[in-house]
Amino acid sequence: MDFTLSPINKMVIKAGKDFCERIVPEIDAYMAEHGDYPPDLLEKYAKARMLGFDVPKEYGGLATTNFNLILLIEEFGKTGSTCFLPLLMNNSVAETICHWGSEEVKKKFVPPLCDGSAWATMAFTEPDTGSDPKMLTTTATPDGDDFIINGCKRFISMANKPGYGVFICKDLSLAGQPHDSTAFIIDKKSPGISCSGHYELTGLDGADTCDIYFNNVRVPKENILGKQGQGFNVLLRWISGERIQQAAGMVGVGHQAYLEAKKYSMQRIVNGMPMGYMQGFYWMLGEMKVKIDACRLMVYNAVCKQDAGKNFDTASAEVKVFTTPLIQEVTRMAVQFHGSYGYSKEYLVEKLFRIAMHQGVVASSLEINKTIVGMTALMSK
Amino acid sequence: MKIIVTIKQVPNVTKVKWDADGSLIRAGLPTIINPVDKHAIEAALELKEKHGGEVIVISMGPGQVESALREALCMGADQAIQLTDRKFAGADTWATSYALGCAIKKIGDYDLVISGVEAMDGNTAQVGPQMAEFLGLPLLSYALGIESDGKKVQIQQKLGDFERKIEADFPALVTVEKEINEYRVTPMDKILEAFEKEIPVWEADDVDAELVHLGLKGSPTKLRKVFSPKIEKGKVQMLEGTPEEIARQVADKLNEKFLI
Repeated sequence: MDFTLSPINKMVIKAGKDFCERIVPEIDAYMAEHGDYPPDLLEKYAKARMLGFDVPKEYGGLATTNFNLILLIEEFGKTGSTCFLPLLMNNSVAETICHWGSEEVKKKFVPPLCDGSAWATMAFTEPDTGSDPKMLTTTATPDGDDFIINGCKRFISMANKPGYGVFICKDLSLAGQPHDSTAFIIDKKSPGISCSGHYELTGLDGADTCDIYFNNVRVPKENILGKQGQGFNVLLRWISGERIQQAAGMVGVGHQAYLEAKKYSMQRIVNGMPMGYMQGFYWMLGEMKVKIDACRLMVYNAVCKQDAGKNFDTASAEVKVFTTPLIQEVTRMAVQFHGSYGYSKEYLVEKLFRIAMHQGVVASSLEINKTIVGMTALMSK
Repeated sequence: MKIIVTIKQVPNVTKVKWDADGSLIRAGLPTIINPVDKHAIEAALELKEKHGGEVIVISMGPGQVESALREALCMGADQAIQLTDRKFAGADTWATSYALGCAIKKIGDYDLVISGVEAMDGNTAQVGPQMAEFLGLPLLSYALGIESDGKKVQIQQKLGDFERKIEADFPALVTVEKEINEYRVTPMDKILEAFEKEIPVWEADDVDAELVHLGLKGSPTKLRKVFSPKIEKGKVQMLEGTPEEIARQVADKLNEKFLI
C-alpha cells in the first residue's frame, strides 16, 4: 500500500501545525487554569473548518477523508494537549449520525456538530457495565410517541456541555429479545439530566469527564439512531473509528516524546560530549523512532480501509493492540532518557507519558481489543 | 471589491548561495511565502469578507512559486496567477515591479493592490512603491490598519516613532506591516477547494511587457559583490560586582563608545 502523502495531505498537516503552534498554547493555558475546555473551543475548530471531515457538504461537512483527519490529529498529539478530544468527538459522532440516521435526523443533528454550536458525546459505559450490552442498566421505557430514559452513564466526555449525545440504552420495548440495546440522540440539556463533577484523571489534563444521570428524561422516538436493537452496532462501528483517531493522536504523542529525547540528547553534555553520542542513548533513540514509525503505518493502514468503505473493525482493534504498548513504552523511554528531569512537570515528556496511559483504557480497553483480534483470528478460515 | 495581492516566495533558511551573477540559487531550498505577505493576503481576505468581491494573488518566480500561490488559495484567495518566464530571471526590484505592474494592468479593473512592506530576503521595501509609481496609483505604505467604505481606502500609517491616518480613492496600492493583523489558520475547506483550481502561468508576452525592462538585462541595479558577512569571535570581558555595580560599569562602557 502506498502511503505517499499528496499535496492536500501535506497542506492539512501544515495547517494543523500552524493551529497547534499559534492557537493551542492559549487553549492549553486555559485548560490548565480552569481544568476544563474553553467555552469557545468548538468555535475555534469551526473557524478553521476542522469539524465534519467525513460528513457530506449538505450537512455542513467537508466531504473529505478520515486519512486527512488522522494527519491533523497526529499534529495535535504532538502538543501533549488534551484539547483535541472534543474535535474527535464532534467529527466521529457527526459521521456516525450520518451513517445511521434518517434524513430528518441528519438534517437536525449534524449541522450543529459541524458548525461548532453543539458539543458531541457518545455514551455506553456505566458504573457496573463493561463491554457487554446485556449488562446495560440505563433503560428506555416506551411512553406513547416518546421513550423515558432512566439511569447513569460513567466517564462520559463532554457530558455536561450543551449539545447532543448518542446514548446506548436498554430498550425495554425489546425485553426478552437477543438484541435489546437502542441508540438515542439526546439533548444534554433536557429536563431530568444532571452531571457529577469532573473526574481527576492521571493524564488528559483539563479533560471534562463526568457521570451523567437520567431521571425520567423524555426523548421522542424520532431520535432513535438506526433501528431499535441496533444500539450496540452503532457503538461498535463508532468506536472502531474512534480507536484509529485516538491512536493517531498517540502516534503524535510518541513522536513528540522521541523528539524531546532527541533534543535533550544533544543538550545534555556528559564527559564533554552530548549524551546522544553514547551508544546506549542512540540505541534508545533508534528503538523509539522505529516503534513510532511502525505505529504510524498501522494507523494509516486501518484508516485507508475505513476510507475505502471496507470492514475495518478488526484492523482498528489491531491498531489498539499494536500501538498502545509501543507508544506507552516510547513515552516511558523518553522519561527515562531525561533522568530525574523526565519525572518533573518542567519537561513535556512527563505530560506525554501520562497522556499515553489513557490509550489502554479509554475508547475500549487494550484487553477487549485483544479479544476482538484473537477471536477474529480463531474464526477466520 | 477587486483586490490584487502580490506575494513573494522566499527561502526559509539562514544560509544561502549565489550564482556568478549574484542571483540567489533557489533550487533545493525549502521555501515559504514571505511572512509579511501572509498578512497582506489576510488584509485582503478581511476586506473581501466585509465588502464582497474577489482576491487575486500574483507572484513572479521560477516554477516552484506555484506552491506559494497554492498556499494563498488555501488561505481563501479566489484566484492565483503565476508569472514564470526565463525572461524575468535575475530581476532587481525595478524589473520585478515592472513585470508585476504589467500583470496587474492586464488583470485590470481593480480597486486595491496590497503587498507586504518588504521581503525577508532582500529587505528593500521598494517593490510596492515602485509598482504604485508604474501604475500611477496613490501609495499608502507601512499600514498598521486598513479600512474601506468600498470607494476609498484609509490606513493607519507607521512612520518611525509616530503614526498617522491617510486615505485615498480607489484604485490605490497599500503596503502592510506584519502588525496589521493575525493571519488565519488555513481553513480545511479552502485547502480542499484550492487544489481543484487552475493556476494560469503568464509569460512576458502574456502581460505585454517590453523585453528591455525585464530580468537581469532590464535591471538598473548592478551587483558588484555578494557575500556572507564573516562571523568573528569577539573579545568578552566579564564584569564583576553587585548588580548595581555591574549595571554602572555597563553604562560607562556604552558611554565610552558613544552608544548612549
